Amino acid sequence: MKVEIALDALPRMLAGIGLTFQLLLLALGIGTALAVLLLLMRISGRWWLSLPAQAYCYVFRGTPILVQIFIIYYGLPQFEWLRESVLWVVLRDPFGCAVLALALNVGAYVTEILRGGVLSVERGLLEAGAALGMSSTHRFVYITAPLAVRIALPAYGNEIISLLKSTALASTITLADMTGIARTVVAETFAPYEVFISLALVYVSLAWLIQRSMHRVEARIGRYATRRAG
Amino acid sequence: MQKRTVTLLGLVAAALVYGHTATAETLRVGMECTYAPFNYRTADGKLAGYDVDVANGVSEKLGVDLEFVCQEWSGMIPALLANKFDLIIASMSITPKRMEQIDFSSPYRVSIGRLVGPVGKGWQLFGADGAPIAASFKGLRVGVERASTYFEWFKAKLPDAELVLYDGAEPMYLDLKNGRVDVIMTNPMKAHLSFLSGEGKGKYEFVSPAINEPKYFGPGVGVGLRKGNEALRDKISDALRQLIREGKLEEYALKIFPFPIHDDAWAN
Repeated sequence: MKVEIALDALPRMLAGIGLTFQLLLLALGIGTALAVLLLLMRISGRWWLSLPAQAYCYVFRGTPILVQIFIIYYGLPQFEWLRESVLWVVLRDPFGCAVLALALNVGAYVTEILRGGVLSVERGLLEAGAALGMSSTHRFVYITAPLAVRIALPAYGNEIISLLKSTALASTITLADMTGIARTVVAETFAPYEVFISLALVYVSLAWLIQRSMHRVEARIGRYATRRAG
Repeated sequence: MQKRTVTLLGLVAAALVYGHTATAETLRVGMECTYAPFNYRTADGKLAGYDVDVANGVSEKLGVDLEFVCQEWSGMIPALLANKFDLIIASMSITPKRMEQIDFSSPYRVSIGRLVGPVGKGWQLFGADGAPIAASFKGLRVGVERASTYFEWFKAKLPDAELVLYDGAEPMYLDLKNGRVDVIMTNPMKAHLSFLSGEGKGKYEFVSPAINEPKYFGPGVGVGLRKGNEALRDKISDALRQLIREGKLEEYALKIFPFPIHDDAWAN
């Protein structure tokens, strides 16, 4: 273990933190929007909406994200028509491919997280809402959604940390995120232990940061529900 | 009860001794197994290619058995250092930087590089004297393998080029075909055989002269091994020299190329 190699590698790897965060935030944003759409499809009560959403979640949760990245990056360009379409603007770029793959994947997981939240909202509350003459849309927006979000939040925070780690896979398709830079440094120094251990420390600190901020968000959103002694 | 324990211990000891002698006669060889025509798997799953032939030739001279281990290029030296295998016979050029970490035998193949790009782009990348024109490379997307000598050459000579790093040759060729990179720097022997004379014929061509800079590419390709194995290294170098003298290296090369890919002077 040579400490100076680790210390040299650290600032270089941190140069990729911006890209890691871009991947994280874009994939999270797009994925969450997708998840809301899929959730609405799943709980719509119409089979022709619910079934495709179920199939989607099944497929994307049932395949490794690395395989999904490879299919999107190496597989899709095999189709000539795709390379001539507008989609190529996104798919030509490894960054676009990585965001797409991560977003599609995270969308499937967040759908299930949100559905768990929705299902755990007490029936009695919805019946009370109906008794007050609220329409089903009103009940969803004013009763189900706020409660479901609060319930789903811890699992959602978990998913963000999981996504942070998945961004490292983008380095397999030529992106110079923190992991990509680390692999290049390893290739130059032939010192995998030193470099990857300092990389692991960076990820751990980021995960800790996300966990702390999610705690604060949870505390804020759940401030009316917190029981206080006395 | 005690007797049984003793017998058991004896068995374990015997297994350990036997296991030890078995590994002493087998050398594990690391290579990519995907780097045609130097080391790759044939349709029926067997390893073949110039590196494989050289490895077998050396093992015959040394009287040892070989076990091939497939390893991704960028992790080749770390894997050797971590004792995942004993030798690298994977078209690895002998460079000063690599020699800080590992030892090399005498060379068994020449080491040059060349750029491949699409036909008819009209790029003026190299001057009449064969030197690269730095301005032409500005913003050009160039695919190279991470941890390759070509990567080092580009970083030193043409820092304005936009380098895209790959972990192996195959994905790099794929991205050239998909238009994600403008040109790639690669081994011309490999490019000619596995791409330019086949799938890429008429669509891709060499867009540079052969680049031969021993400062970056080293004197040639050698067998890599962990430091502190001088006796084995010298035996391998001797075996390689014998293979050159006996015309074996030429024979291996002519199986694939219409020309030998070593230097006869290495036999001395």
